[in-house]
Amino acid sequence: MAEIDLDELIENLLQCRRCGICRNAVYEERGFDGVCPVWKNSPGFETSFMRGRIQVALALLEGVLEKTPENSEALFSCTLCGNCTEICAAEFNPADCLEEVRAVLNDIPNDVRDAIAEKIIQFDNPYEKNRSLKREWIKEVGFEIPTSGEVLYFTGCTAGMKLPTVVISAARILKAANIEFAVLEEEPCCGSVMLRTGKTDEARLNAQRVVSAIQKSGAKKVIVTCAGCLKTLREDFPKLGLEIPEVLHITEILQETAACKKLKLKPVTKRLKVTYHDPCHLSRAMGVYDAPREVIMSIPNIEFVEMETSRETAMCCGAGGGLRSYDPELAKKIAADRVMSAHEVGAEIIATACPFCESNLRLGAEQINSSIRVADIVDLIAERLM
Amino acid sequence: MAIDKKIAKEFENAVGAEYVSTRPDVLLTYSQTASMAVEPVIPSAVIRPANAKEVSQILKLANKHRIPVTPRSGGSSLQGEAIPKPGGIVVDLLRLGGITLYENLRSVTVGAGVTYGELDKFLAKHGLFLPVYPESSLVCTVAGNVAVNGAGVGSSLYGCTGEMVLGLEVVLPDGTIIQTGSEANPNSPGPFIRYAFGPDLTGLFIGSLGSFGIITKVSVKTFKRMKYFDYNMYGFDTVELAEQFLIEIKQNDINGLFTSIYSGEVLDLFMDMLSEELGFPPFEHAERTVSMTIGRVREDMLESDAKLAREICERLGGRVLNVREMPQQEWEGRFWNFVRASYIHGWHWRTLYHHQTPTNSHKSVDIIMDAMDKYRFLGHTAGFQSGHSSMNLYPHLYFDPQDKDEEEKVVKAHQEIAKALFKSGAVPFKLAEFWKDAIEDMDEYMDFLKHIKNSIDPNNIMNPGVLGGI
Ligand SMILES: Cc1cc2nc3c(=O)[nH]c(=O)nc-3n(C[C@H](O)[C@H](O)[C@H](O)COP(=O)(O)OP(=O)(O)OC[C@H]3O[C@@H](n4cnc5c(N)ncnc54)[C@H](O)[C@@H]3O)c2cc1C
Ligand code: SF4
Ligand code: SF4
Repeated sequence: MAEIDLDELIENLLQCRRCGICRNAVYEERGFDGVCPVWKNSPGFETSFMRGRIQVALALLEGVLEKTPENSEALFSCTLCGNCTEICAAEFNPADCLEEVRAVLNDIPNDVRDAIAEKIIQFDNPYEKNRSLKREWIKEVGFEIPTSGEVLYFTGCTAGMKLPTVVISAARILKAANIEFAVLEEEPCCGSVMLRTGKTDEARLNAQRVVSAIQKSGAKKVIVTCAGCLKTLREDFPKLGLEIPEVLHITEILQETAACKKLKLKPVTKRLKVTYHDPCHLSRAMGVYDAPREVIMSIPNIEFVEMETSRETAMCCGAGGGLRSYDPELAKKIAADRVMSAHEVGAEIIATACPFCESNLRLGAEQINSSIRVADIVDLIAERLM
Repeated sequence: MAIDKKIAKEFENAVGAEYVSTRPDVLLTYSQTASMAVEPVIPSAVIRPANAKEVSQILKLANKHRIPVTPRSGGSSLQGEAIPKPGGIVVDLLRLGGITLYENLRSVTVGAGVTYGELDKFLAKHGLFLPVYPESSLVCTVAGNVAVNGAGVGSSLYGCTGEMVLGLEVVLPDGTIIQTGSEANPNSPGPFIRYAFGPDLTGLFIGSLGSFGIITKVSVKTFKRMKYFDYNMYGFDTVELAEQFLIEIKQNDINGLFTSIYSGEVLDLFMDMLSEELGFPPFEHAERTVSMTIGRVREDMLESDAKLAREICERLGGRVLNVREMPQQEWEGRFWNFVRASYIHGWHWRTLYHHQTPTNSHKSVDIIMDAMDKYRFLGHTAGFQSGHSSMNLYPHLYFDPQDKDEEEKVVKAHQEIAKALFKSGAVPFKLAEFWKDAIEDMDEYMDFLKHIKNSIDPNNIMNPGVLGGI
């Protein structure tokens, strides 16, 4: 993120006309069936969607509201999913502005935010003290993976440490597609959550370390399986003035291989109804909509169905923007709501392309005792490799 | 200041603690609406009831404690109608959902929290529509639009929102729940006629700005969704000819679903702002240009209407422009394009919606343009037919939100414009506070209105002052 110009930020925030369309617009022609997942799944006061968040932001910036953790809740109870930006008719980007406000007001105490940043700084990941756990999965893949090479698989902390099946599946698919790849010996966290929650200085330092590690590996291309890593490396790093090789989400790579039928996939035995949840950082943020769908549809015998909201207007899973740590219950509720949408279209599997979405959707499914299977696309593909 | 804790507790008992807030950040966000250049007022509490019963309990408590109440739905009103009163509470009605269709009665009942977007999606599945779409349809509720007696796309044929209403469920200031229209009869199969059981009590609440009670359900007419449209523009060298065209369209029962009239300067402004984004081709417009969408449920009817419209235009000496993109975008993009047009330029604005007769509508344009010249503002005004023989004018006066002097100037200009408009014969369809100093020689009318307000709401708790200062 480039330096924030406060005057410009306020000017942008004042572009909000308080119309309220970003609350729950139903606009069938463009696919909106509601807008803000937080408003929908919370008691629904004005502070729970973008119109109120902006008013709170302005009041905090202008000193009308005291800068307390309680008063700044509206800044953080947001997944930064960008659905409000998608519908807003005014000349500014509300979700991006809110992210900037978090950075400008990062002197307001927020224990959750600070604790995550602290962990990343100390342990190179937001989860575990033992950073070597991020490479534990390699023991299970059954083949050697070098630590340097032209193609680097940047695994990300969530998949590497919490959902190793995703990393294993990705590794197997890359191998099956004859793509030689490396995984860093010590992979730092991409720092997405620091950027989203306003810890810009820390994120900048962290990003420099990431870039230097990638450079040292000799990578000319970086592959990721996490939507958060994708946005951070592909979009935010250049904004921080850092140079990074081409970054691709694995579905973008598979789109080609699937189209060329380079990967031989076993058909599913019985017809299976699969839907796809668009991770906000892959879809609205980076514009990757078709690749994951094409990959899913390349599995023989799969019936692909869309949920009521999808693509540009998809409702968020509730995990992003730091919300999962800031308000886990709310994040889970939003996920449960998304899982319900999958049920409504009769899906047996809700596939996604981001481990962070996957783990939150799982929690959501548990909350409503849903038997739906939540799976990463790479898992679905890896299971069908011949 | 937040409400007394004991009273807050009583409200919590009525609706559940999680739906009452006295937090400073929450109160701040209810101090304003989409109304610009209006002083915010921080309420003392915000309450989000789920149904009419809870609304009733809230109003009983508010009455007991003499607390002013501001009903609020979408919060999209533009003339300060939902700004709270000092010490007052805001009752946010968005939790009151529910849509019930009475297909054979050609009607539908919606809860006060239902927006036009939501209803339209529902009705489209049945091949139906509620054919009056405020330009804020994605945010505003049907009940909120009834409370302001709004109008919008579709009004050119069907009239204002009020014309669509068959009955209301209303919680009166003392907490009594009443039903108006045919549904007042508990044995009624549903909403099928508004004028029942004596005087039109439904009408009392249309345009009442929440000052007579809280509407909890609205029953409205539905119509078969039109499938056939003719989009065209018609240019006239004089204002008079264009206005005559508007009259003849009506006199010949041509189904102008949305019929707008633009002066040359305003059309230039819109084209500059929007033509690229919305794909309008360049075209030569005239002193006054009419943009019309004719809609019909049958193709033969459409062809006949479209042919006659062209003939009338040519007979009057106008030019059929054969440009369809603009009216098509007005109709098909009705949910979003008007909002976009209102925000794309980056200015904030204030408006003074009103109605004029077709032959008077140029007076509104002249008044607004004069004020813009005098005060050196940017802005625009345009209008659309809004019923039997009326035009809805929507002037926008632009100002820079960071320039307090300019904002004050707009407010002052507004007061002058309101007076001039009133003198020119204009009628505000909602008697919002913006108009209160402009109304002259209507003392008896205003006294009668006060009398009604006093008898329904003797403690004057319901949105006091909002209805023309009452
Ligand atoms: C971009 C934009 C375009 C607009 N275009 C149009 C347009 O084309 N036509 C038009 O008519 N308006 C238009 N408006 C204005 C606004 O949308 C309307 O006034 C709308 O009807 C307000 O509805 P709401 O649900 O937002 O009500 P609110 O703004 O919440 O309230 C409006 C008024 O109604 C009262 N009220 C609300 N709900 C109830 C209830 N259930 N019972 C009793 N009183 C109640 C409130 O106290 C207040 O006085 C526009 C606004 C915007 C921002
Ligand atoms: S953020 Fe955009 S959509 Fe939301 S209230 Fe502001 S202007 Fe309207
Ligand atoms: S970014 Fe998403 S969660 Fe945040 S206010 Fe916008 S729509 Fe709501």
